[in-house]
Amino acid sequence: MTKNKAKTLRIINAEDTWEPVGPTPLPEIPDLRNWSMRLLKSYKPFYAPFCDLCCNCAYGKCDLTAGKKGVCGIDIATHQARWALIQCCIGLSAHAAHARHLVNHLISKHGEGYKIDLGLQVDVEAPIIRTVMGLKPETLGDLRTAIEYVEREYIHLVSSTHTAQEGNNLDFENKSLHAGMLDHVAMEVADIAQIVGYKYPTSVADTPLLNLGWGGIDSTKPVVLLIGHNAAPSIAMIDYLHDNDLEDKIEVCGICCTAHDISRYTKRAKIVGPLSRQLFYIRCGIADVIVADEQCVRADLLEEALKTGAALIATSDKICYGFEDVTDKEIDEIVAMIAEEGKQVLILDPDKAGEVAAKVAPLVSAKRNKGIDFIDETTAVKLAKDCRGCGLCNQACPNLLSIGKAIKEFSEGNTAMLSETFKMCFTCGKCEEQCPRSIPIIKIMQAVATKDTFNMRCGRGPIHDVEIRKVGAPIVLGTIPGIVAFVACSNYPKDEKEIAEMMDEFAKRKYIVVASGCAAMTAGMVKDEEGKTIWEKYPPGFQAGGVLNVGSCVANSHIAGAAIKIANIFAKLPGRANYEVIADYILNRVGACGVAWGAYSQKAFTITTGFTRWGIPVVLGPHAAKYRRLYLSRKEEDDWQVMDGRTGEMTDDYVEPAPEHLVNVIESKERAIVTIAKLCIRRNDTTAGRQIKLNHYIDLYKKYMGGLPDDLHLFIRRTADIPMFFKSEVMEYLKEVGWKEREQVGIPTLITTYPSKANIDDIK
Amino acid sequence: MARPYWDVNILTGSKTARIIDNPVQCAGIIKKADRPLYILGPDTLDRNIGERLFLKYCLDLAKAGKLPICATGHVRKKMLELGIHPDSSYDIIEIINHLKDTEWNGVKKEGNHDLIVFSGVRCDLAERGLATLKHFAPHLKTMALCRFSHPNADFALPVIRKDRKWQDYFEILIDNL
Repeated sequence: MTKNKAKTLRIINAEDTWEPVGPTPLPEIPDLRNWSMRLLKSYKPFYAPFCDLCCNCAYGKCDLTAGKKGVCGIDIATHQARWALIQCCIGLSAHAAHARHLVNHLISKHGEGYKIDLGLQVDVEAPIIRTVMGLKPETLGDLRTAIEYVEREYIHLVSSTHTAQEGNNLDFENKSLHAGMLDHVAMEVADIAQIVGYKYPTSVADTPLLNLGWGGIDSTKPVVLLIGHNAAPSIAMIDYLHDNDLEDKIEVCGICCTAHDISRYTKRAKIVGPLSRQLFYIRCGIADVIVADEQCVRADLLEEALKTGAALIATSDKICYGFEDVTDKEIDEIVAMIAEEGKQVLILDPDKAGEVAAKVAPLVSAKRNKGIDFIDETTAVKLAKDCRGCGLCNQACPNLLSIGKAIKEFSEGNTAMLSETFKMCFTCGKCEEQCPRSIPIIKIMQAVATKDTFNMRCGRGPIHDVEIRKVGAPIVLGTIPGIVAFVACSNYPKDEKEIAEMMDEFAKRKYIVVASGCAAMTAGMVKDEEGKTIWEKYPPGFQAGGVLNVGSCVANSHIAGAAIKIANIFAKLPGRANYEVIADYILNRVGACGVAWGAYSQKAFTITTGFTRWGIPVVLGPHAAKYRRLYLSRKEEDDWQVMDGRTGEMTDDYVEPAPEHLVNVIESKERAIVTIAKLCIRRNDTTAGRQIKLNHYIDLYKKYMGGLPDDLHLFIRRTADIPMFFKSEVMEYLKEVGWKEREQVGIPTLITTYPSKANIDDIK
Repeated sequence: MARPYWDVNILTGSKTARIIDNPVQCAGIIKKADRPLYILGPDTLDRNIGERLFLKYCLDLAKAGKLPICATGHVRKKMLELGIHPDSSYDIIEIINHLKDTEWNGVKKEGNHDLIVFSGVRCDLAERGLATLKHFAPHLKTMALCRFSHPNADFALPVIRKDRKWQDYFEILIDNL
């Protein structure tokens, strides 16, 4: 099937000549396949099956162990790749459906001609949409065009996962990469739509500091707890409270990304914490009304709400919970159903849901026995004393914690172990489920959970064009050693403070540190000796040593967007529908690295996959091994040759493995820190830049691993690259391993090393 | 767990670890290997056997069995502090990625390894790595020296709940290498 070129050009408004249209407008699955395959040649898929069987169809189930094939002919590698694509499709659909809903809702409010204006500091408003699609979105209607493109591609991706369709693991991976790329388009649509539609902060770096922590919730007031990722109903409620002078009378707080987004809308909103503590917060009984929108909301929310007497309002077609759809009923009738009859309801009109939540909160609050769910230490100890030490709770723990021992010690008056355990706990409740004595372990943890409050920086949205102009050169030359982005969920392998420690390590070394989503929240839950969180210690700009919060999950698009802008604004590469040229530039010249230290969701997997197609490597925490697919190189064996874009010749010498992996799971925080520093090295680094990067790599390696890195010789091109401080030691090492000087590549590129329509002249 | 007659009714897989209850037998398997490799993960730094750091037991085992060591995570630093230089220091996924390749030369540059022994890698991550090797490295055998047991290994220990029994197992194993 061939593309209808005229239609494509019409969709992207090709007559609008802001830039010439590049080779891949509205790319379909085959269009960037060669770029994917080139990446996968250096970074081969690594599979770690969870299950040895394929249970996909009624032919089987089929045992695929160690070389066996399914009835359909599929092998284990291809089946894992298909599974990865299914995960990516789930993640993509969550963001795309979210974006579609927001765009439709905001068009219904403002009209499709409503202008996109991201303020004086942002001219390149949608670097992802521009680069992927070739469209420069100017209105909400244009954002709808973007999401329509994503939706069209999506059905082809899902189709290929049907039994007896695709039969090659690399082609499945190309489709996963395509899904990841589309996911970034969808995220960008969603965040731009809500920034312009709700007038979130934009073109401002120094956004306000917010109140973070469950201890900061004023439960003397009626409390509405918002959970999820789609802020539309929550914002409607906030508007209602404002319009009716009720803002001081009702406490509005949130968990997860809705919390980010309401705090971008009003300074009054409070952030309770990350999603991993959802059950803990609910069982504390802080909420009178829970409003669930979409994504990362517990499936048993109704059961939990009933336990505390909270009202629960579902507001999304994604999460209906079996509730009666009361969208068409009158507001007063719905309020009566909830407040008087104790019913839980589904309201699909965000404005109506918001008003109902605001009206219901005082009524439910007056009826509830508030405070009954809070327990003091004496009560907690008494409950813990019922533990008989059977250890069944330990076996059920997804984070492999010794819950039973901690409870036992706590019952004997030693709080330290339970306190440490809580910091590693997802409060999922699996331990309680197993307990033969029904000990309320999650509730007991209230006694050791800090009720302290913290300051967190409000999400700021896109990186400013002027910031990009300032830091573009030092990033590409390497004198700012890297951009490190801490993203994703909060199922950390160990203490939650590790995320703040990692961010601090890079911020003080003058990397640019970016965060989003639950990672940004968790990072704020640690104070230094002066009582400051990381959000107070460092400047909020996209600058050396800056620590910035872009916002919720969908604001991750601005991180990829910043890398694209470096290519497009600083280096002036033509970006319109020119995906390969931009991604090649990022891969070879922009020292950026993503970190998803806690990553549980399909969305996090898809976001990660999208980053890799842009050429941005990602470090994952240990739990992410359960995603079952990574992209790895073997630094000493693989082919690292690149084209020198300046001479048009392939490099003869061995060229450093930079970046070494595209997606890897790392076992410990210490190793992750060292790996992140290494993954910021790029072939394009100048001598001064490489010296700075190696200085950090060596220093961190010595600090956390001991001695000099055993792959150091691979990253030293000439003696001038060696940091002065370590010169004699490194020279000795290089002599030992038989290192030889090699030429630095002028303009490293993969363009022309594989079949592509990309123009080599664009990279110069 | 009972294996059904029909493959279609298998629970989650057909190949599972042989449980080695006897540490003497375990030592025999290690001694039989031509090019073993001992992978030590960071849990060896966080746990004790009896009063002694788990890592120290593992180093004793490596010495007794003449096993080259791959230190994953940040184990290398502690090993250096103890005066022992690991033969290699890859992170866990990286070493598994190398082991998949029959042509890889191994950490001693003497050819790929034929028995991979694991200790101290966090159990959920180790299980994923063992699954990779089970499916994609038929040229080697794996052994999980872990008291929590690992079904994806070729050889695994039973779940050992009692600390004393775990200590005994390790000490007998070392004595018999």
